[in-house]
Amino acid sequence: MVAGLEEISGGTVEIDGEVVNDLQPKDRNIAMVFQNYALYPHMSVYDNIAFSLRLQKMPEDVIYSKVTNAAEILGITDYLMRKPRALSGGQRQRVAIGRAMVRDSKVFLMDEPLSNLDAKLRNQMRAEIILLRQKLNTTFIYVTHDQTEAMTLGDRIVIMKDGYIQQVGTPAEVFEMPTNLFVAEFIGAPKMNIVKTDLVKEGNRYFVTPCGAKIEVAGEKGDLLNEKNVKSGSILLGVRPEHMKLTFEAGADTIPARLEVNEMMGSELHLHVFTADGTRWIVRVPTIDLTAQQRKSLTNGAQVYITFEGKVMHFFDPETEKNLIY
Amino acid sequence: METKSMKQHMGMRTANTISNTIIHVLLVIISVIWLIPFVCIVLQSLRVESTWQVGYILPKQWGLDNFRNLLNTNFPKWYLNTFIIAVVAAALQTVIVLCMSYTLSRFRFKLRKPLMKFMLILGLFPGMLTMIILYRVLKDLGLTQANAVPGLILVYIASSGMGYYVSKGFFDTIPKSLDEAARIDGATRAQVLWKIILPLAGSIVIYTLLTGFMAPWGDYVFASYISFGNSSGMNVAVGMYNWLTPDQINNNYTMFCAGGVVVAIPVVILFMCLQKYYVEGVTGGAVKG
Repeated sequence: MVAGLEEISGGTVEIDGEVVNDLQPKDRNIAMVFQNYALYPHMSVYDNIAFSLRLQKMPEDVIYSKVTNAAEILGITDYLMRKPRALSGGQRQRVAIGRAMVRDSKVFLMDEPLSNLDAKLRNQMRAEIILLRQKLNTTFIYVTHDQTEAMTLGDRIVIMKDGYIQQVGTPAEVFEMPTNLFVAEFIGAPKMNIVKTDLVKEGNRYFVTPCGAKIEVAGEKGDLLNEKNVKSGSILLGVRPEHMKLTFEAGADTIPARLEVNEMMGSELHLHVFTADGTRWIVRVPTIDLTAQQRKSLTNGAQVYITFEGKVMHFFDPETEKNLIY
Repeated sequence: METKSMKQHMGMRTANTISNTIIHVLLVIISVIWLIPFVCIVLQSLRVESTWQVGYILPKQWGLDNFRNLLNTNFPKWYLNTFIIAVVAAALQTVIVLCMSYTLSRFRFKLRKPLMKFMLILGLFPGMLTMIILYRVLKDLGLTQANAVPGLILVYIASSGMGYYVSKGFFDTIPKSLDEAARIDGATRAQVLWKIILPLAGSIVIYTLLTGFMAPWGDYVFASYISFGNSSGMNVAVGMYNWLTPDQINNNYTMFCAGGVVVAIPVVILFMCLQKYYVEGVTGGAVKG
């Protein structure tokens, strides 16, 4: 729709203040990188990149300098005379980006450009796209299913579900203050722990009572609950795995749990634990925080205790799934 | 163990050799049967001792007299007629078919599916059904008899858009994102077709050209109807057929064979030149695959 390849079902699309609903793709001054690159197979890399410039009837020497310049930036100078089929995935990706770069367009559209690459190449290209964006200094619209890409590349993230926008915000905003359960579970890996529990108001103080423990909502979150005047009642409580704490001894606000799966990720452990009521929690523990003995004791079925601080909680309405303090 | 597997290996090799031999012998027999009529015609055309049908194949006297005699008849005129018709019809038909296929493959418009079904059903009726009305219409337009050449061209290209199946099927296999990329790069729909799709569809273009050329080149029924006995409007098939009437056949039989050989020459050349374009894999590397 933004590119003009599909009909707009409602509303208007504006680029730089100009409504482009009825403009053909070629008149919108946009560049696009496709998920499958969509290189013209019968043309050399040079011709692929030069295609749009030739359609604009640019003089050949200008085209030459633009194409070689783009190739220089992307490191594909050596392949300019090759056909796309003689290139590797990462090289084709660069050609596709190069084809978009030479356009000098107002908007760059990227439709999951990295999803066809292997993990190592993806990291490398991601960094290169960040650099490219700084160099070109134009608007990028980047579609991705990969939240790492979204968080690292985005100035602003639009999270969509079934064609509807869930939240618009900076990476920090969507991470710290998700508008609803979908966004909360979508951003962050492993995903946020969600547990059904009660919110209890005692005077000006709020408590949550997961699995029999009683933990006070502290700091900003408590103030916000007060501000919104949230009543006691059933809620969905969300806590990110990295905000969970693991102890080996019972304490005042700890919840006893049984370890089921221990995923060793290298720098950290992902522990899947089950509390008495059958809820699964994921706890992210930095490997360095545990002694060798403690690490050894984390076998399947081990008894552990989990807890979390008051300031890291998220509260969602069990019915509407909206954030109660957003 | 080793000997056993080696034995198995040997066994498989012999089995392969045997089946290959059978297949090749069969193919040779089939191609010989296939070639007999052509060889006969070529041999007859080179026979100069008599002009009528004889009971043997190998000529007793060889020569090119029959070919020379062709030049003294209306044959060159018919040949030219046929050539003009076939070339023009093939060119126009190819343009129409390719535009049609591209449209049906890439555009989404109302009644697209019904239109395709309609054309499919319409295509099931034999073209002969339209013969009489076509003749009336062309006669009113003055495009019969001496003017049969433009009339026949019209007939051959008239419904050619309905032959879109093969090329639409091929266009469907070219990733749509290539079109989209080209359109974002600033190409119009026509430029997409000319600069992106057709270079990738070379074999289909050749195929359409060839079929478009072959049909008028060998047509008899429509050509005979529309030229309606007027020698200057005839194509080769119709003209030469008139040599074979019972009172003429004994004078013209070997010349007829010579004409047949001359008619076959451009087709043979066409196929020999163009068969290398029947290659697959031109789309390799377009998208990650």
